[in-house]
Amino acid sequence: MELSGANTGVVVVNLIIWTGIFLWLLRLNKQLRDMEKKP
Amino acid sequence: MKTLLAWLLWLWIALVIWAAFFYAPGAAENFQVPTSYRILFFHVPMAWASFAGFIGSAVWSVLYLRSRNPRHDLAAAAAIQLGLLFGVLATVTGAVWARIEWGLYWNWDPRQTSLLVSLLFYGAYLALRGAVDDPEKRARLAAAYAILGLVVTPFLYWIVPRITFSLHPEPVVNAEGKSQMSSDISRVLLASSVGFTALFFWMHNLQTRLLVLAERKSAGGDQGYGA
Repeated sequence: MELSGANTGVVVVNLIIWTGIFLWLLRLNKQLRDMEKKP
Repeated sequence: MKTLLAWLLWLWIALVIWAAFFYAPGAAENFQVPTSYRILFFHVPMAWASFAGFIGSAVWSVLYLRSRNPRHDLAAAAAIQLGLLFGVLATVTGAVWARIEWGLYWNWDPRQTSLLVSLLFYGAYLALRGAVDDPEKRARLAAAYAILGLVVTPFLYWIVPRITFSLHPEPVVNAEGKSQMSSDISRVLLASSVGFTALFFWMHNLQTRLLVLAERKSAGGDQGYGA
């Protein structure tokens, strides 16, 4: 496999991991907002 | 607005990931595996975020001792928890790189060792918090301990690796404290550090709010945890 091809694969995996963490944090933020509104 | 900022952070770090592999130079000289240097773009910002967390905890602890607002105490605890998380990630990424370049995951390099000592020091902070039941006494003791970290952390992160022989690459860590990296590498590293710092503060905001809610629930009321 050429280096640029290998790099593309690593970048895609990194982006998937980062997007997963990001969406999880975004969901946590929303859940916290809902819980904070409760008396 | 806050959601827009969060998406900007997503975009920023996504660009950093792209730049780390396609913008930064293909290979660094004098390495066993020349492309292995790219781990620098993630390893160094993680170590930096852990440092920011440990120093931040001291700042929030000072604020707690001045105001006695329990939210500041929980902000200090959250900063240390996240500092430990990023510190462990920096240790693991460093160990993976060390296996490739130095042949062993662990070499007792001064920088590896000083980060490990920092993690133990702040691990003891969490043990201290867990050992004291009275919330006010716990907060006071924990604040004093975290402020002690203002002396310990800079010594371990900045001084020890520079006064002892280190296996770490000279362009990144040297006795003069000057970076000798190419401008392309420096730019990506700086962008990554900015992104990780923003990520740290976002996670810190979430973790503090989580701790406040947990504390409110266990105390059965507001108990002065308002912002």
